[in-house]
Amino acid sequence: MRPLSIFLYEWKHFFRSPFKIVAVLLFMVASIYSLHNGAHLYEKQSSEIERLNKKAQLQKETLVSYFENGEKGPKDRPWVDNTKPFWAIWNTPTYHYKKPSPAIVYNIGQTEQYGFYKSIKTNSSPYDADMAKEIANPERIQSGTLDFSFVALFLLPLLLLVLLYNIKGSEAEQGFLPLVFVQTGSKNWWMISRTVFYAIIILLVLFSVIVYGAVLTDISITDDAFWNIFLWVTLYLLFWLIIYFLILRLGKNTVSNTLQMIGVWLLFAFIIPAATQQWISIEKPTNLMIDIIDAKREKTDDIYALSDELIDKQLFELFPSLKQTEIAKDSVRIKRARRSSMEALINIAMKDATASIEKDNQSKNELISKTYWFNPITFFQNKLNHLSKTHYNDYQDYRNEIQNLADKRTKIMVLDIWNDVKVDKVKYIEYTKLFSNVK
Amino acid sequence: MLQIIKNEWRFLVRSRIFLGLSIAFILTLLVSIFLGNYQTKKQEQTHQNAKDHVRQQWVSIDEMNPHSAAHYGTYVFKPANLLSSLDEGVNSVTGNVLRVEGHVQNEIIHSEASQMQAISRFGKLKPSLLLQYIVPLLLIFLAFNTVSSEKQSGRLKLLILQGAKPLQIILSKTFSVWLYGVLLLVFVVIIYGILNIDSITAEVLIRTGLFFLSYTLYYFIVSGLTVFFSARWQNATLALTSMLGIWIIWTIFLSNILMSSVEKWHPLPSRNEFQSAMKEDRSKGLDGHNPKDKRGLALKEKVLKEYGVDSLSQLPINFDGMRMQADEDYGNSVWDKHFGNNRNVLQKQKQSFQLGGIVNPFISLQNTSMGFMASDNLHHQEFLLQVENYRRVFIKMLNDKQTYGGSKTGNWSWKEDNTFFKSVPDFDHKPIKFSTIIPNYLLDIVLLAIWSIIVVLLIRFGTKKIKIV
Repeated sequence: MRPLSIFLYEWKHFFRSPFKIVAVLLFMVASIYSLHNGAHLYEKQSSEIERLNKKAQLQKETLVSYFENGEKGPKDRPWVDNTKPFWAIWNTPTYHYKKPSPAIVYNIGQTEQYGFYKSIKTNSSPYDADMAKEIANPERIQSGTLDFSFVALFLLPLLLLVLLYNIKGSEAEQGFLPLVFVQTGSKNWWMISRTVFYAIIILLVLFSVIVYGAVLTDISITDDAFWNIFLWVTLYLLFWLIIYFLILRLGKNTVSNTLQMIGVWLLFAFIIPAATQQWISIEKPTNLMIDIIDAKREKTDDIYALSDELIDKQLFELFPSLKQTEIAKDSVRIKRARRSSMEALINIAMKDATASIEKDNQSKNELISKTYWFNPITFFQNKLNHLSKTHYNDYQDYRNEIQNLADKRTKIMVLDIWNDVKVDKVKYIEYTKLFSNVK
Repeated sequence: MLQIIKNEWRFLVRSRIFLGLSIAFILTLLVSIFLGNYQTKKQEQTHQNAKDHVRQQWVSIDEMNPHSAAHYGTYVFKPANLLSSLDEGVNSVTGNVLRVEGHVQNEIIHSEASQMQAISRFGKLKPSLLLQYIVPLLLIFLAFNTVSSEKQSGRLKLLILQGAKPLQIILSKTFSVWLYGVLLLVFVVIIYGILNIDSITAEVLIRTGLFFLSYTLYYFIVSGLTVFFSARWQNATLALTSMLGIWIIWTIFLSNILMSSVEKWHPLPSRNEFQSAMKEDRSKGLDGHNPKDKRGLALKEKVLKEYGVDSLSQLPINFDGMRMQADEDYGNSVWDKHFGNNRNVLQKQKQSFQLGGIVNPFISLQNTSMGFMASDNLHHQEFLLQVENYRRVFIKMLNDKQTYGGSKTGNWSWKEDNTFFKSVPDFDHKPIKFSTIIPNYLLDIVLLAIWSIIVVLLIRFGTKKIKIV
């Protein structure tokens, strides 16, 4: 029997199985719903970013108007002098964003665990309280958003199970399996053709919904993300096809095959990832950020308690050019400059503290990665997270950018204070451009 | 009926597959209870160490201006809860560290989930994961051919000829399958009790009892429905696939869709919208750090009049502390308004989700499971509220010291000594009494009970005309 004939028979069988048709339709409905969830989050984050940009622009315009009107700052805050680098930089609104990738439509990943915008100050740290995630119902976050990756990783194997569960078993129970083998010539060929038939149906469904998702967030069909997502979902489908095929090939009846298929699904979807998470949380308990707290309190106090000589020594080590400035030679003006520059030293202490936390988190991630070979769903989930730029590492990159911007801001502030730079409209606009640029 | 149940169990115990599966599952359950308990105790230790460390820093303050101490602030860590070793609920996605300081109410940050890459979509291997997702499947596997196999073998006819009524047979089969789930549940509760014998209180007993009740009801629904399908349909495979379909829709599909939908029906503000609204409202109040603030000046006039003096320097108290406290009081009312709104929205979301229990009893089970184990959002919100109440007491104590401690207005260099800082109490989390929050879970329990009744009615009336061969 030719594969085309097997396909045609299977097509008839499929159309006579309302249970299978309903399963495919439900899968499509879930996919479309999940894609809309992803698109909704994309729009929400994009519009929030736009709103914050407008807000920052308004603040900048207010500051520019002070310079244009020859004012130092708001009248009700006479101590604010925006012609001084300290105040001008303090009042330069800079937001740094983790802009959502359009591929978020397919996979929300870890997006909801983190904040996606941050107002940068000279004393900013990537672990500040304002890095909190968006306000959301924790019960919803805990149960996970129904995004397309959830549909692909958890519902796809179930759909495949529904479509394949009675292959061979049903014929064996009705007693015409030998007849089928005589007609087809090869048991394997017949089973592979039937399995491939359903694989093609699922691939068509997947491709259609992935195209639909691309339309929602304007992903181009030539975009790498589009094809990569499709490729990895296809590989995932192949993974389950092989497992289910082996069960069907070696199994004897429908019920036992179904039980084995669902058993394997439970093992990979629930037991292994859950056991891994439990093990990781015992091996590496939640970090309560004591190092950061210590840096904010004890180390900051220590810095403020340093003698002038020691502060100067540390500042000159950090920024050697300060030594040559006029202010460094002025015993009166140096006091104010020194006080305003202490944040640079605190910044170093904070960076040391965050480095130890990041090292701890990295070791957790390495442990998790080591489980990939027996924990395929976690592997595929993180693969999709990478593709939609919603992986832990993408947020780590975002935190690194925040740190770099804070470093840059501090450095410019210290150098300009010690060089006694006078800030005017041109200089202020230069600040706004400089501080927004990560590089 | 009892005889049929006994016979069913005799058959089950004779099955090697059943015994093998049961032993493997019980071992997995045992591991989950031990690990859950061990992890919670380790977490408790980490929490205690962090709490002691931060407290030590506070009581070690030699001397400091009270308002500077309000800025120095303190930190509160979300405590681990032994009950959550059975069901962790929202604990891994909510933050763990909350900074308590003057002028601002910070958000809780540094959740466990944010400290690593993604692992499990369904949480850790806690007993609740096995009890909610796996045990119902085991019950389905045990029940799907209980009646249909009897029909095929002709045993059903024999039983009826011996005098048993079809309803009795079906109910007995339901109970025998349900009993398996109940025994697993009893096993979990007993092992949990033995491991935590020193921490068992009346509160823990009540909560665990209700946890047990909600699972027994759910297991009855699943067992009854599967046996019903097995009786109604001639084909065991059809009974199995139908019930698997229902399991998938209930546990994987519907609960997730409903949870996502309720957040759209009752939207929460974005963090920026929320903070802008708070800032806007706060700007209408008093600025504690700005002596030229209009409302501050009005307060000054009022206080001067009260004390019958002309200038701040004549006041026997420090007006700066009073202005700071007035700023706090106003800020507190703003917080109450905005966080109150958020809490209302979250409550509406919860209520809508609970109503989902009408079509999906799994939702009611999830709600009661984490609610009774004190790990749902309601308990999390209560914790946040306790921290905010503590913050108010903490800051007021510092501002009052600034005001009435003996310093004069404008004297920011004045400092209090270590004795005062030692006298400021530490945050002490008081677990919520279950009796005060039970109304929140009544709907879930009622829905589970109604579902159980519906299943009994289905069996009673739906199997009247079943074919016995």
